[in-house]
Amino acid sequence: MLRPRLIPVLLYKDGILVRSKSFSFHQSTGDPVEQVVRFTEWKSDELIYLDISRDNLYNSDQGMSTVGSTSSKREHEAYHTENFASVVKAIAKQCNIPLTVGGKIRTLEDVQIRLKNGADKVSINSMAFERPEFITEAAEKFGTQCIVASVDVKLDETTNRHEVYISNGKVATGLNPVTWCRRLEELGAGEILLQSIDRDGGAKGYDLTLIKKVTEAVSIPVIALGGVGNNQHFVEGLEAGASAVAAANIFHFTEQSVIKVKEYLSSVGVHVRL
Amino acid sequence: MKVCIIDYGVGNLASVQNAFALLQVDAVVSDKADDIRTAETLVLPGVGSFEAGMNGLTDSGLIEVIAEEVMVKKKKILGICLGMQLFATTGFENGEFAGLGFIEGSVVKIDDTKENIRLPHIGWNDVTVVNGHCIGKGFKNTPIFYFVHSYHFMPKDIGVVAGYCDYGGEVVAMMQKENIFGAQFHPEKSHIDGLQILRNFLSC
Amino acid sequence: MKYCSKCTYPIIAVNLTMSDEGVCSGCIVNEEKLKLDWAGREREFQELLLSYKNKDGKNYDCIIPVSGGKDSHYQVWYVKEKMGLNPLLVTYYTHNYTKTGEENLKNIGKVFGVDHYVFTPSYKTIQKMNRAGFKKTGDMSWHFHNGMNTTPFQVAVKLNIPLVIYGEHGFVDLAGQFNFEDRPEFTARHRKEHALRGYDWYDFVGLEGLTEQDLLWAQYPSDEEIAKVGVRGVFMGLYVYWDGNKNAEDMSIKFGFKPNPEPFERTYRLTSNVDDIHENGIKDYLKFVKFGYGRCTDHTSKDIRLGNMDREEGIGLVRKYDHVIPRKSFEYFMDMTGMKEEEFFTTADTFRDSRVWWIENGEWFKDNLWGEPSSYGKVHLPKDAWSKYIRAK
Repeated sequence: MLRPRLIPVLLYKDGILVRSKSFSFHQSTGDPVEQVVRFTEWKSDELIYLDISRDNLYNSDQGMSTVGSTSSKREHEAYHTENFASVVKAIAKQCNIPLTVGGKIRTLEDVQIRLKNGADKVSINSMAFERPEFITEAAEKFGTQCIVASVDVKLDETTNRHEVYISNGKVATGLNPVTWCRRLEELGAGEILLQSIDRDGGAKGYDLTLIKKVTEAVSIPVIALGGVGNNQHFVEGLEAGASAVAAANIFHFTEQSVIKVKEYLSSVGVHVRL
Repeated sequence: MKVCIIDYGVGNLASVQNAFALLQVDAVVSDKADDIRTAETLVLPGVGSFEAGMNGLTDSGLIEVIAEEVMVKKKKILGICLGMQLFATTGFENGEFAGLGFIEGSVVKIDDTKENIRLPHIGWNDVTVVNGHCIGKGFKNTPIFYFVHSYHFMPKDIGVVAGYCDYGGEVVAMMQKENIFGAQFHPEKSHIDGLQILRNFLSC
Repeated sequence: MKYCSKCTYPIIAVNLTMSDEGVCSGCIVNEEKLKLDWAGREREFQELLLSYKNKDGKNYDCIIPVSGGKDSHYQVWYVKEKMGLNPLLVTYYTHNYTKTGEENLKNIGKVFGVDHYVFTPSYKTIQKMNRAGFKKTGDMSWHFHNGMNTTPFQVAVKLNIPLVIYGEHGFVDLAGQFNFEDRPEFTARHRKEHALRGYDWYDFVGLEGLTEQDLLWAQYPSDEEIAKVGVRGVFMGLYVYWDGNKNAEDMSIKFGFKPNPEPFERTYRLTSNVDDIHENGIKDYLKFVKFGYGRCTDHTSKDIRLGNMDREEGIGLVRKYDHVIPRKSFEYFMDMTGMKEEEFFTTADTFRDSRVWWIENGEWFKDNLWGEPSSYGKVHLPKDAWSKYIRAK
């Protein structure tokens, strides 16, 4: 039977992995490759790796991040190189599970470069809104299976309505997520990465209403993201209809975190890959 | 050169190469007939539609040399995902197209009329190993592999099936016919179980 | 070089990041620290501790890695005296301990009445590791970081003791690397990437004639071993409000902890890092060589955040201490390894970070916290390696 997927999300910024708070304050979690190796060993079902660098500072010789070390720099320079493609290449070498790469994808060439360096899928966000036919062109050229449409949603608490945002959650689009996700499916997206902005980093659980509405409306798999604070939240996300459950913070700071979450899920009857 | 990964413009070749690198096996990505001739074994990867795959192969001009190495010289070949589907006689994705015809059978859409069957079939699925083929050896527990596809291979002779998975019914997950091996899933993306398949392919 | 507008850290400081407003992660996290529900966190910690207490009394309840310093005293006091657990203290003890450090280490077992497991590698290995650590990582104390982060886990796995309790989370406190909300725990990745600077024991096999057998003490247990015992390493400082200065005062009055009897050459604080001769010495000088800041920047940043001094005073102290070559620890190292001065300074130069340092007229220059760049002495690096340090005018 098809196993529900558990997916750690990694954020890359200016040469290091970071923890993000409110999209503005970033704290270093360290080396951009090392954690990929660990997550793979810990039986993650897939990884989502998002580039949130602002100024194209991919070279640590120009950036100021020291990658968690007072002394390793002299020898450990291999992937602190010229561009994000070299980072993708370095992590793909270590990652024999599916790897989705996102961030700053605006042209078919951007997609091609990422796939060529070892990504299996790309996630596309703002560009899908700016030019919807881009999803179709990418799906036709590279196959629908490698086009993940990423959708950021905010809940307006006064009106109790969901709305799609773009540009790192900064710009409102006026779109209803259900209509938008249906449209993305028609355009050729193979999966939807559904992120709740207001739940992000809050550790209060997924936006289950949102997940239910979207999964009922589309027939492609939906990956839920945003809000996980404990193991039970993953179960709720799956019960709401998500094919895969993703999270960032909960996986980064404890030993064998993915394995432990999977052991929990298995103990409550969720058939994850162990 | 131990392995030649055939580049016909379709699919993620880097992942396949990376997986062989993890096994410390020398694998080269190439679109040259000479490399296909000199390699000990061949891998035909591929994602996308059946038609695009056959067009890619035709445009690359490699069909003849692959057919000769595989069908005449009996060189080992592993088809991955679309690569395996192209071994079929006919593909029925968006029309009807002739395949390589290495294994008799057709490629049709997975039945998605049942409840909870979403297409594409994306994710990790258990594979029941059958018929005792060499490609399915060495698993203590039921192996689990990563799949991404909407169409599946229906072989005429079910004896060539090496494993099934369950997705709205039986879906052929791996095949073996003499020197021809196929995986509908992605062994290069299926962690430890996937590497075992690549090891099996090399040692079968 | 950008400097934090509140403390004395440069943006290049280890594991530091900076907000758009120019405030460093260390200052931001320390401000958050003041607003946390510490009573709630402490309850959480006490529940965690009690859940690991042996019901049948047949084993130790937890491991406390101790160096013997002020925080070690506080940890043992808290776990043993306040919470009534039966901890096993574990120390990686080397030949680089100071006299005061040794007295403190003996004191801790004595005053609290606890068992103490002390491990010491062979002197010959330590000599080689000092040399190899310096040449390979620019840090002669690499073996010390490894020991502190490995011995407790080897013991945990062998004696089947699942809980390891560290004190303050150094990276959270100094650079604000992690968030209190995440309650980061000890991981193999943390050990290798952060504590061991990306190296592990196997990187040293073959150097200075070191063999795998020489380095058995430096090998972290496997994932399987850790999982089998269920070993967890937690940082007490994320649950119990941590004030190093206060701990030092309390522990010295009540339990006989001793601060360093004489001033350090590279910092004004007498109660921090008193155990290992190189911690406030030549090892820290090398941090200055690499990244252009040293222990005094760490200490003034902490004290500014605690309100013990203003930024101006901090800058003055950094100016006085950060660049000083600590003769005492330097000579101890040269004596132990038999290295010549020229070799030392030439090797040290290979670790200079080109984002910090540049060469002008054969001298090392860098930006300063107080403004104008200035020279920090003669370049020892051979001329063919100068190119990345030459900046366009």
